[in-house]
Amino acid sequence: MLLQQLINGLTLGGVYALIALGYTMVYGILELINFAHGEIYMLGAYLGIIFLAFFTAAGLTATSLPIALFLTVLLTIIFCSAYGFAMEKTAYKPLRNAPRLSPLISAIGVSIFLQNYVMLTQGATDKVFPYKFSSAGFQFLNVNMTYLQAIIIAVSALLMLLLHLFIQKTRIGKAMRATAQDKTMASLVGINVDIIISATFVIGAGLAAVAGIMVAAYYGLVNYYIGYIAGIKAFTAAVLGGIGSIPGAMLGGIVLGLVESIGAAYISSEYKDAYAFIILIIILLIKPSGILGKTAEEKV
Amino acid sequence: MRRITIFLITVFSLTIVISGCRKKEDVIKIGIAGPMTGAQAKMGTDFKNGVALAVEEWNNKGGILGKKIEIIVGDDAADPKQAVSVANKLVNEGAAGIIGHFNSSCSIPASDVYNRAGIPMITPASTNPRLTERGYKGVFRVCGRDDQQGLIAAGFLKNKLKIKRIAIIHDKTTYGQGLADEFKKHLGSNAEIIYYGGITQGDKDFKTVLTSIKEKKPEIVYFGGIYPEAGLLVKQSREINLTAPFMSGDGSIDPKFIEIAGDKAAEGTYLTFSPDPKNIPAAKGFIEKYNARHGELGPYSIYAYDAINIMLSAIKEANTTEGKAVIEKLHSMEFSGSFGKIKFTDKGDVADSPYVVWITKNGKFEEYWKP
Repeated sequence: MLLQQLINGLTLGGVYALIALGYTMVYGILELINFAHGEIYMLGAYLGIIFLAFFTAAGLTATSLPIALFLTVLLTIIFCSAYGFAMEKTAYKPLRNAPRLSPLISAIGVSIFLQNYVMLTQGATDKVFPYKFSSAGFQFLNVNMTYLQAIIIAVSALLMLLLHLFIQKTRIGKAMRATAQDKTMASLVGINVDIIISATFVIGAGLAAVAGIMVAAYYGLVNYYIGYIAGIKAFTAAVLGGIGSIPGAMLGGIVLGLVESIGAAYISSEYKDAYAFIILIIILLIKPSGILGKTAEEKV
Repeated sequence: MRRITIFLITVFSLTIVISGCRKKEDVIKIGIAGPMTGAQAKMGTDFKNGVALAVEEWNNKGGILGKKIEIIVGDDAADPKQAVSVANKLVNEGAAGIIGHFNSSCSIPASDVYNRAGIPMITPASTNPRLTERGYKGVFRVCGRDDQQGLIAAGFLKNKLKIKRIAIIHDKTTYGQGLADEFKKHLGSNAEIIYYGGITQGDKDFKTVLTSIKEKKPEIVYFGGIYPEAGLLVKQSREINLTAPFMSGDGSIDPKFIEIAGDKAAEGTYLTFSPDPKNIPAAKGFIEKYNARHGELGPYSIYAYDAINIMLSAIKEANTTEGKAVIEKLHSMEFSGSFGKIKFTDKGDVADSPYVVWITKNGKFEEYWKP
């Protein structure tokens, strides 16, 4: 049973980690908590359903499911990235030099706007994912793991690996790290900070979009307020791992998923949501910068 | 330029909302309260459709007391806090009576407001016993009570299925936990409750709870709650190979439940609910009219239809919209509802309300067992 609970927790944790990355990347660069990030994940879930329903109506799902799913994921990532890009340009960029509270309020505004926008255009009732994945899967050691669960864990791991390589090995990644360290210095050595910030939002939104589709497919049920709870949980994961730290967000997400599953299984399911925050409080008391976070040095 | 466009669109959309205001007329106002938005919006819409149909019939016959009837809709979004503010709003707008709310957790706090204002309220769907146990004269319901529902569910397990190892889950709401507790109470000593625990309404992942339950090898899983969670529970339990059948109450009997769970996973789920109106000759006229207008009948549309008819008959008989007189009439009169004659007890419950057990079969609900 422990093994089964670990797999349940890992699936959940992978999704939390993907969303948490968006929070932590933006925070690392702008020191802004993008509260609207959870809504991008919600948009991802909705767009996934819309595109897949479209391909189903067009007959593509029946003839070739993998192509339909691939196109759905691709289109959703593109659309969500566009949302992320537009969000930064309209709600945050004009406030780049404003007091820190202003972009925070702007973020909450974007979040409320997106929620209501989806509610009004898509209706207030739950949407059901248009394709039912079979509940078949692997069986080992008395543990069931559906293929979809395996895919979610694998995709999360793959995306995190790719992101890590991207940040560490590419020129843009290097520029991102430089911008995170010091925006002014980065611009002085010829880095276009605007492009780097946009890229951060686009990548974060793309990851959230994938998380959204996977969750919609996994649970089969989506509504316009899923972004709120997922956003809070992912934010917790980011703080838990050390906000601003990319490996920290991955670790935080997985720890959070596991703690929720194990806590609900062995203590009481009624306090499932509380465990995440209990762990958060403990970590913050012991190590205020989070598990992998570095203590912020005074910038002189 | 783009900013100006966005600004114009915003202004334009706001004007649409504002221009929805209407002229004041001399009418009798009846409030309908329920979840019109949110996860349970379908239930609220079913209410509204049932009530609107009845009101239209009354208005076509010339209204009552020489006045037309007008509906004011209150949206509580299944949230107890919002239910109280909606209740105050309906009272302030001059509602003569209330049809609603849907969730017991909303009906109970809202009934305080209506009681204080002296307005009668008839709920078509709130089944928690506590609603009518607090001595409020003006609170009525046309549906049954959870203690009756729990009794039937327990009897079904004892007499028909003859099984003993039972797991109970509830959604921690007044309705869900109340139903689960009533069921547990009526199980008696010969059943073995191997699991009892709560989940959170609105949550999507129940695999941890289900894994714990699977470990204890239940013969049936009973869920006290509403259809979105019920659907996910059934779906996810099949994914981890928990094959025991599910049983739930009237809150789960909705086509969305099968849609969420999938035909195959939902197959063989037992639900306690009132008898199928399609088998009752008196209800035929209503069902035909409803189908023609709004499509498939919701589980509570017919109760909403009955509730508003009872309310309007009482106002007509009392010959006034004054709350005290209407409440008196509601207590003393006998009404003809879709399921037969309805007479309220002193508490405001329906004197006899039969529950039966339904089953999910081939993606449809059908009546299965009668005590």
